[in-house]
Amino acid sequence: MATRDIFQERQLVVKGMIIVMGLVLIGRALSLQVLDREFQKRASATGIDKVIVHPGRGLIYDRNNKLMLNNEALYDIMVTYNELNPQMDTMKLCRLLQISKEEFLANINKDFKNIRYSKAKPYLFLSKVTPEVCTRFQEYLFEFPGFSIDLKNVRSYPYKCAAQVLGYISEVSQKNIDDAHGIYAKGDIIGSTGLEFEYEQYIRGTKGINYVLKDNFGRPLGPYRGGIADSMSVAGKDIEASIDIELQQYGEELMAGKSGSIVAIEPETGDILAMISAPTYDPNLLAINKNRGQFFRELQADTRKPFFDRTVMAKYPPGSIFKPLVALIGLQEGVLWPDKGLACGGGFKYNNLTVKCVHNHGYLKDVAHGIGESCNNYFCTVFKDIIDKYGFSNARQGYQTFINHLYDFGLGKPLDLDYPNEKGGNVPSVSYYDRLYPRERGGWYSTTIVSMGIGQGEIQMTTIQMANLAATIANRGHFYTPHLIKRFKDGTPIPVRFTTRHQTRIQAKHFEPVIDGMELAVLIGTAQNAQIPGIDIVGKTGTVQNPQNKNKDHSVFYGFAPKYNPKIAVAAYVEYGGWGSTVASPIASLLIEKYLRGTVMRKEMETKIKQKVLTNYDN
Amino acid sequence: MAVQLSNQRANQSLDWITLSIFVALVATGWVMIYSVGYGNSGYPQDLGEFMFQTQIGRQSIWLFISFVAFLLLMTVDWQVWRTVAYFIYITGIVLLLLVPFLGKEINGQKAWFAFGWFTFQPAELAKFGTALALSSYLNSSTNVLQSLQSRITAIGIFVLPVLLILLQPDAGSALVFLSFFIVLYREGFSPGPYIIGLVMIVLFVLTFIYEPFYVSTALIALTGTIFVNQFRMRKIYWWIGYVVVLGLIVFAIRQQFYWTSWLANTAVCFALGYWHYERNKNRGNFPIMVGLFLCVVFSFTTSYITNNILQEHQRTRIKVWLKPEECDPQGELYNVLQSKMAIGGGGLSGKGFLEGPMTKLNYVPEQSTDFIFCTIGEEYGFFGSTLIIVLFVILLYRIINIAERQRANFSRYYAYCIAGILFVHFAINIGMTMGFFPIIGIPLPFISKGGTSLLGFTTMMAVLLKLDSNRYSI
Repeated sequence: MATRDIFQERQLVVKGMIIVMGLVLIGRALSLQVLDREFQKRASATGIDKVIVHPGRGLIYDRNNKLMLNNEALYDIMVTYNELNPQMDTMKLCRLLQISKEEFLANINKDFKNIRYSKAKPYLFLSKVTPEVCTRFQEYLFEFPGFSIDLKNVRSYPYKCAAQVLGYISEVSQKNIDDAHGIYAKGDIIGSTGLEFEYEQYIRGTKGINYVLKDNFGRPLGPYRGGIADSMSVAGKDIEASIDIELQQYGEELMAGKSGSIVAIEPETGDILAMISAPTYDPNLLAINKNRGQFFRELQADTRKPFFDRTVMAKYPPGSIFKPLVALIGLQEGVLWPDKGLACGGGFKYNNLTVKCVHNHGYLKDVAHGIGESCNNYFCTVFKDIIDKYGFSNARQGYQTFINHLYDFGLGKPLDLDYPNEKGGNVPSVSYYDRLYPRERGGWYSTTIVSMGIGQGEIQMTTIQMANLAATIANRGHFYTPHLIKRFKDGTPIPVRFTTRHQTRIQAKHFEPVIDGMELAVLIGTAQNAQIPGIDIVGKTGTVQNPQNKNKDHSVFYGFAPKYNPKIAVAAYVEYGGWGSTVASPIASLLIEKYLRGTVMRKEMETKIKQKVLTNYDN
Repeated sequence: MAVQLSNQRANQSLDWITLSIFVALVATGWVMIYSVGYGNSGYPQDLGEFMFQTQIGRQSIWLFISFVAFLLLMTVDWQVWRTVAYFIYITGIVLLLLVPFLGKEINGQKAWFAFGWFTFQPAELAKFGTALALSSYLNSSTNVLQSLQSRITAIGIFVLPVLLILLQPDAGSALVFLSFFIVLYREGFSPGPYIIGLVMIVLFVLTFIYEPFYVSTALIALTGTIFVNQFRMRKIYWWIGYVVVLGLIVFAIRQQFYWTSWLANTAVCFALGYWHYERNKNRGNFPIMVGLFLCVVFSFTTSYITNNILQEHQRTRIKVWLKPEECDPQGELYNVLQSKMAIGGGGLSGKGFLEGPMTKLNYVPEQSTDFIFCTIGEEYGFFGSTLIIVLFVILLYRIINIAERQRANFSRYYAYCIAGILFVHFAINIGMTMGFFPIIGIPLPFISKGGTSLLGFTTMMAVLLKLDSNRYSI
């Protein structure tokens, strides 16, 4: 009988298991169907919508905390086909949204066979609707089930300038979406050029996700699980740029009607104070709105190429502004000494070769006067002496030494600033000349390439490199990679490459005679109209032959001020500007005055420059 | 024959309770499938179209086939099943062997033979065959299950089809075969392994939800409590001291001194155990310590396995079950969530026949087969769900009673087998639709759409009723 009892007990265990499971399931049903308020709320819900909350894009301020780049609200109207009311007042909708009946039909009937569109999911009905239209539509939204309003941020530019520096934004391409692994979705915005492009990953912020319960008419009922799974959107980081927006604006005004570029740098830090490429355009034209496409096409078709950023993309021969650099290298390499004199007989002559000196001047008693008078002969000689340092037939070694110094100054390769599309200029290498002048045909010597001594020939620099050169001279031998970012507003450190000091191998003492020479150029030499009463300005002009039109040389100036403890270094390159002294140096000078004084006293010069129109054609 | 004739008058009656619940459940299933298929647009008027073009039409044909089969099976002599048991079992095994080669792939599983619109799932036959074969084996001698060898054979009978079904792969059907442990328990297996299995499942679930660190901390603290409770002298002081220690440990965890607190906790627990061992020569605590040790090791091991050895989709499945709040409601959680929302949407009394928006508008996946319970929940609410659950509980309870009243051991074994199969189907399926169990694709008996499944369960019930009607035949 004992065994019988065990089986009896086991039968009860099995029965107990069945009953307990039944009770558990009933309990679960009770909690789901009766007790759980969450499910009560979902009683009429038929789905959950994943709503993406777009973060505000980061703003950009200038170095004085003035807002350069702002966000403005624009709206997209979305529609879900299955939720439309077939009896809705279509005419009223068209009137409210200010569209025609044809537009309405075209926008609402998508190709539903295409997987991009689904009748059950919202798709774009009308984009870029202004806040005024939207507010009115919002009032009547309840009459139009299936329609919804989506906020999109658009950029606006209070100063209407710095278009290239700030850059524009556009909708992401399929490639952007694929490359970024889930960060972007169709219709998102991405920075295309300028700072918008460069700092995209900081500016864009992080999207938020809200899960919203919907009933079977698509009406939102409230957050899913009380919003527990939602994530907040995080606004993009605000940036304080190194740009001085008023200086930038002033520079753009000065460059109106001209082609060329200006870059101003704070030598102490490498901050780019202004970066002007002319011609430019009002950045508000490219803000995302209805007319953008048209403006974009117009700007692209403009023969003066406003999208071609002349500060970093244009490679110019430096011309005479190269001379101070030649002098510095000569001094450092010991082939030149500060009080070396030279009698200029109107040009550099070597056998059959003549490099004419265009400036009319007498005996040059030292380096400073050589620079001040911009004597071609003087610098061809210095350049030849550098190249021939290891013997006339050993030009390769001498030239390699020379270009190594150029590399130190950031020439021949991009400076790697925080700005896209930067070109590196051109410093011809030893092997380049070996190919150009093969040994069988006599090879090459210092005299073959002597025009480089005065900044002509193959040597090319971008305007940013010229400005950086001015800053390096101002610093007496070192520079910080120029950059457009000053700091992130939230304290995120800026890239370390902008706080790394680059030291050249020119000793500080060699800079004094050269800077004295650049001062002489302003005081008594070629750059006299760069003088600013009361400001100790130092600089050098250049005139570069224009291969397309002999009468229209390019005008160039670079310099810094004040001479001691410099605050600003500027390079200005004006295409077809003629002599360096006619356009480039007054522009740079005015800019320096504006920056150091805040206002410009030389109104006459200012007006004259502003009114000047320069083109490649004789007028 | 003589025996049968002599008892005919007394015992030819069917068990009406079982039969009527069975019929009620099948009818419910038909109505539910009708409702799901009704959708927004209703059914075609043409009868031919209705019968062959719609789910409910095809299900009606299967219902008719099952009805005929039921009548035919009732005419088969009850003694036959004992003798053909192994034959049916082997047929099932052979078909399971063939299905990977000749079967049709549906949803990534090769579990079906297809002849035109007629599909057949050999796993259903294998369930029935295994129930018969196991019963027959248990019936083979009086002292079966006494030797280790016979126990292994008994388990082997149903593990073989499990292995073959896992090849398809069909985890749901394979799980059903574990229900045969119920009959083995009833017939003499010791409860120890069952308890250990249960403890392991509970530990696994707790570990997944709360991390092994917290699970082991709780287990160690609990063991310490048992030891403290053994003190006879100044018990209250020991208790106060222990509560203070636990408070310090909780404080240390809050301060993120995780492993320090863990070691302290273990040290206290061991010290208490050792105290009783030294002072009171209490050796009874030794197995407790071993058990604790094994539980802690098990907890950390399962955690390691789930995090490092299981594949991502397997981990996701478990997560959907145990940590739904961490899952994407638009992604992996979608099915469960839609299912729970449909059931929850039914409220107390439901939305009424053909009125459930979620099931009608196809918001719930697989809603006429594995998720048919959603339709019941949405259209008939808590009352409807409870009614179905109660019907199943009564049916299962009744089958156990039927089992226990059999004189023929074979019949008792068979009834327990059927009860086990139905129990697993019922519990897992309904539990799954309400998020109580993980998503395992098995049908709800008698109710879910599916011809083979309906025919299979009908066969099981028919044989059960036939055996029961002959219970006085020996």
